[in-house]
Amino acid sequence: MRKFLAVVKHEYKKVVLKWTFLIGTLLLPLIGAGVAIVPAIIFSIKGEPTRIAVIDQSGKIAPRLKENLSAERMSAKIKQAAKDSLTDLDASQQERINRSAEQLGASFVFTDYDFAEKPLEQIRRELGGKITAKELDAYLLIPNNLDAVDAKYEFRSRKAGDFGGERNLRDALNEAVRSERLAGANISETQLKDLSKNVDFDSKSLDEKGDEKDSDGVFIASFVIGLMIYITLAIYGQMIMAAVVEEKETRIAEILFSSAKPFELMMGKLVGVGLAGLTQLAIWIISALVLVGIVVAQMSAAGMSISIPNISPLMVVYFFIFFLLGFFIYASIFALIGSMVTTMQEGGQFSLPPIMLLLVGFYFSFAVIRDPNSSLSFWVSIAPFFAPITMPVRILAETPPFWQIGLSILINSLAIAGLVWLASRVYRVGMLMYGKRATIPEVWKWIRQS
Amino acid sequence: MSEQNITLRVENVSKHYGEFTAVSNLSFDVRAGRVFGFLGPNGAGKTTTIRMIVGITFPDEGRIELFGEKISNDSQNRIGYLPEERGLYKKMKVQDQLRYFAALKNVSQAEADRRIDFWLDRMQLSEWKKKKTTDLSKGMSQKIQFISTVLHNPDLLILDEPFSGLDPINVEFMIEVVAELKAQGKTIIFSTHLMETAERLCDDIILINKSRRVVGGTLREVKASFSKNLIALRAVGGDSVLEDKTLVAGFVKHADEREIELAEDADAQILLKKLIENGAAISKFEQIEPSLNDIFIEKVNETNA
Repeated sequence: MRKFLAVVKHEYKKVVLKWTFLIGTLLLPLIGAGVAIVPAIIFSIKGEPTRIAVIDQSGKIAPRLKENLSAERMSAKIKQAAKDSLTDLDASQQERINRSAEQLGASFVFTDYDFAEKPLEQIRRELGGKITAKELDAYLLIPNNLDAVDAKYEFRSRKAGDFGGERNLRDALNEAVRSERLAGANISETQLKDLSKNVDFDSKSLDEKGDEKDSDGVFIASFVIGLMIYITLAIYGQMIMAAVVEEKETRIAEILFSSAKPFELMMGKLVGVGLAGLTQLAIWIISALVLVGIVVAQMSAAGMSISIPNISPLMVVYFFIFFLLGFFIYASIFALIGSMVTTMQEGGQFSLPPIMLLLVGFYFSFAVIRDPNSSLSFWVSIAPFFAPITMPVRILAETPPFWQIGLSILINSLAIAGLVWLASRVYRVGMLMYGKRATIPEVWKWIRQS
Repeated sequence: MSEQNITLRVENVSKHYGEFTAVSNLSFDVRAGRVFGFLGPNGAGKTTTIRMIVGITFPDEGRIELFGEKISNDSQNRIGYLPEERGLYKKMKVQDQLRYFAALKNVSQAEADRRIDFWLDRMQLSEWKKKKTTDLSKGMSQKIQFISTVLHNPDLLILDEPFSGLDPINVEFMIEVVAELKAQGKTIIFSTHLMETAERLCDDIILINKSRRVVGGTLREVKASFSKNLIALRAVGGDSVLEDKTLVAGFVKHADEREIELAEDADAQILLKKLIENGAAISKFEQIEPSLNDIFIEKVNETNA
């Protein structure tokens, strides 16, 4: 037991005290923090307001336009845009850029300019001069006859890339002109407001018992969890393989085997590296929870209510359990491969099958997110090799009855027992075989013999 | 020879890998406090036998007793094994590696640290304590590996080609260290191809070839049993003595010396006495013994034939 613990300690330190581990562990939360906090900071630093002169020859549009561009209206618009960008993931890239530009919410300051009696050419020349002298940022020329076929709304600006501001202005202008036209058709302002009101679309999904639950964010959270487990299992599996190959390649195995039992050595390696993985995940999860907290706090401060997936402590416990199940399944496969090859390159060729298994499990998690209660979701979330990815995803999307989770844990524990048994037999023979890579029939012979 | 004086007893041990027999009915004793040369050509079964002694593999037939008991996991802690194929963790500091190897032999960290300092100092490598393996020269890593073998103060040392990769100065240095360990009462099994070194170091030897024992015993006995009663003589005068058929079976003349084959049951001392009595001026009179190298080559070729 003392020797086993010595191996665990050695393997744990070997992983955790590496630069790559430190960077990997800290980088992810930092990137997360960047994604969550930086936009908020940028939003808070609004650009300089655009100084604009509105030349309304019709005299009807300017008041409406000014109202549409008022701070109150803009902030309502920003909130809607922010909410859409979080919930509507299907939006095209262009849409998203536009939305975030809207969120940036360029504001306008209206500059008075007396244009009475002046011909158009003179107005253009004078305003152009002001823009060149940086007294003004932009001007908008509204034609006399709004509905003429050749009516042109001239917008000239020195802020070329400010498409957010331009878009806001265009929307506000369109709305003002539309309102003016409707007013011309004898529709009152109150009627106008009622007519143009958006419906209140309340989207919620129902769980097993028929209770309402918020679906906002569940998709993202499930996807992130699935991806996180997939990546960590692949990385830690390869890490185990590299450690095994190193001990075989450098012939340290010979010294190790003369000091402790091969089974102690292999299990010590799995447990030590597994603990390192848990350490990393724990740091990630804690920082994720903190970040979500920060984001939610910011949004509610900004008057937005965004529902985050309801993650209970039990879910976190399940998440760790299934990570460990997955880790031991894939780590023992990679340990087995490591002990039958002679170099890391050979190991790379052999690690394709387990990586494929992981990938298939990850793909299945999409089916699980879409329909957590289908029979496909049931089977893939209890099947060995897939369950470590699909079950946590399913628990998050729609927690299944406990017996299914229990069954999944049981089946996967049995798979681990079998795989560890196989791996330890290959390990104790393979580690002392130098020179050439073992063939599958040879490995089969080791398993039966020892 | 009493039972307590036996550190290791190998009794009728065989090991097979499928059709291939790696060790066949091998028996030998290693006495406490002595250096035991375990000799044989490549593929003779040396490494297989050593692996069974250190508990990496187990004999198919026969029995191995260590310190009077059947080998167990506890006996592993009393053995220091330096394998022929050996290495260190590439990216680990010297001190950390040695601590780990000591921990695997159940040595507490405080004790390990004390011994690491002692041995690094003894090997003149103290300033490399915090360096990584990749910074060490080949000779240095050989010495570090040797330290990992003795760190847990084992009673039995098994050194498989311990001097490979060392320059002559370091070989002499290591021979000195091995002699110190022997003086402390350690039992040492020494496996090598270098017959000259074996001849210098070993008290007892065994030679195996093709999985079997060929010859064994104390170095003296083995060499004596191969002695052909030859004498190298460089002398002026006394030629008449060489004609005495009761003393001399025949001689061959080389440049300035003669190689004399003694007659059966003749005593070299009597020959020497007679030569002096007959007025020979002797500048060289040497009983020629076969070297371990000669014995090795002769016996291996014999068993290969």
